[in-house]
Amino acid sequence: MTSQPDPAFERPEIGDMSEYPSDGGNDGPIVIANEFTDVVVRKVETRNGMRLDIWSPRRGSRVLLDAVALDCLSFQEPELITELLSRNPGQ
Amino acid sequence: MTSSVDRSLDDELQGIRQGIREGRFPARAFNDQQIYDLEQDRLFSRAWCFLAHESEIPAPGDYVTRYIGNNNIIVARTEHGDISANLNMCRHRGNMLCKSEMGNASHFRCSYHGWTYKNSGELIGVPYMKEGYEGRLKRKEWGLVNVRVDSYAGLVFGCLDPDAPSLEEYLGGFQFYLDFYLKQGGEGSEVHGPPDHWVAETDWKICAENFAGDGYHTPVAHQWGFNLGYFPSSGSTHSQGWAASIPGLGHGIGLGHSPNFPPFGGFPDDLAERMKASFTPEQVEVFSQVRTAVGTVFPNLSFLMQPFSLVPGESGVRFVTMRLYHPVGPGRMEMYSWCLVPKDASQEYKDEAYRAYTLAFGQAGTFEQDDFENWTKVTRAAGSTMVKNVDFPYIMGMESERDKDFPGPGHVVRPYVNDTNFRNLWSRWADYLVGEV
Repeated sequence: MTSQPDPAFERPEIGDMSEYPSDGGNDGPIVIANEFTDVVVRKVETRNGMRLDIWSPRRGSRVLLDAVALDCLSFQEPELITELLSRNPGQ
Repeated sequence: MTSSVDRSLDDELQGIRQGIREGRFPARAFNDQQIYDLEQDRLFSRAWCFLAHESEIPAPGDYVTRYIGNNNIIVARTEHGDISANLNMCRHRGNMLCKSEMGNASHFRCSYHGWTYKNSGELIGVPYMKEGYEGRLKRKEWGLVNVRVDSYAGLVFGCLDPDAPSLEEYLGGFQFYLDFYLKQGGEGSEVHGPPDHWVAETDWKICAENFAGDGYHTPVAHQWGFNLGYFPSSGSTHSQGWAASIPGLGHGIGLGHSPNFPPFGGFPDDLAERMKASFTPEQVEVFSQVRTAVGTVFPNLSFLMQPFSLVPGESGVRFVTMRLYHPVGPGRMEMYSWCLVPKDASQEYKDEAYRAYTLAFGQAGTFEQDDFENWTKVTRAAGSTMVKNVDFPYIMGMESERDKDFPGPGHVVRPYVNDTNFRNLWSRWADYLVGEV
């Protein structure tokens, strides 16, 4: 395994990290895991639009985020996650 | 600190120290419980010890776990891109936080009671905080135990002694030689994958000494490499070259020279040109004459660069290995072995260099197996009862004059086959063990 200085897509065939996908692919589900937890991420169609479903199988918890919520996350500082975890570490 | 140590051992260490000056070193040092314990207390808790190469943790959240002495350390790239090292122990009840040797996480969560820390070490999440602690626990006071870190050319070191001098002072000019391994080309070096990692019934000091410039063993222990055309040196000229050491600091490097070996041979031409541009004129002059560069940063980090032929008789490919000898008991260690490649080299050269490295080094490497076969036997003998008062000779180069024309720093002598670096290494080791550093 060579070192990867930049993050890379799990499915590189659909483009680079910062390339806007044009074929509507990558529906998921995608598993994001480390030694502390794992989550399943997938695109979910609603009647009139779509959301990103983040599901924690071990906890059984789930959140459905729309484009505005995800856009909002994209410009937050990492400390927001720290703050959320400190408020509720998930016992 | 000295009061807790057997007085007779302290006296004995003073005798060992005197012996080193006279060219002797005791066999028992390579397999002895008391000496091992003293190394943990007085050496690894005070010296700058290698933790990781920056290219092992390139992105925010990347981490590896390593050791300084018997302390397991998390080395992480924080969300803001700097490097942080902390003891891998939850402050609540002492559980190991990161059980994986490498991974990516913005926060570490303990698997015992769930205390959660930023990857920089601050405690941020405590389950049942209000119900259980009723406002008495101040999270700021219970962060992970932090380790002082500093880096040189991609190498991240940690030091458990807050009063130790800076890393720059600790390296003391050895950087001149380290650049050969670490500043290859315009962008420096990177690891080619994670380290090979295994347990060996060998004392760490045997490896540290061998890689401080033991050109003497090569034509014997690895003679097949000469005879079958894998290694471009000849028994008749193998003693040629230099032994360079930084007096008083323990670092040493052997620089093997072959009369007909071309300057920077074994590197692709374009890479060799970029390398020369990244070195000083003095470094180019030194490195042009070197076939093999094998050196140890005191106490337990080593490097080796040499050419090795993928097909016997064909010209060799240069590779670099970096290795860390982590002691886990008297005469027992964990070996970490990496291949370093120039970042801006072609993928073709990186892959060839890695193949050359794996043929010679790493757990299944041919030179590695030659060495560990011998080192395991040395270790076993060193632990036997008859060896308690047996010394080894370290008298090669006792009278050698310093090579005043050599453009590199430190105490530099000829030939390559020499004990000068080892006397300096053991002298520094003894300084730490008697508590005089």
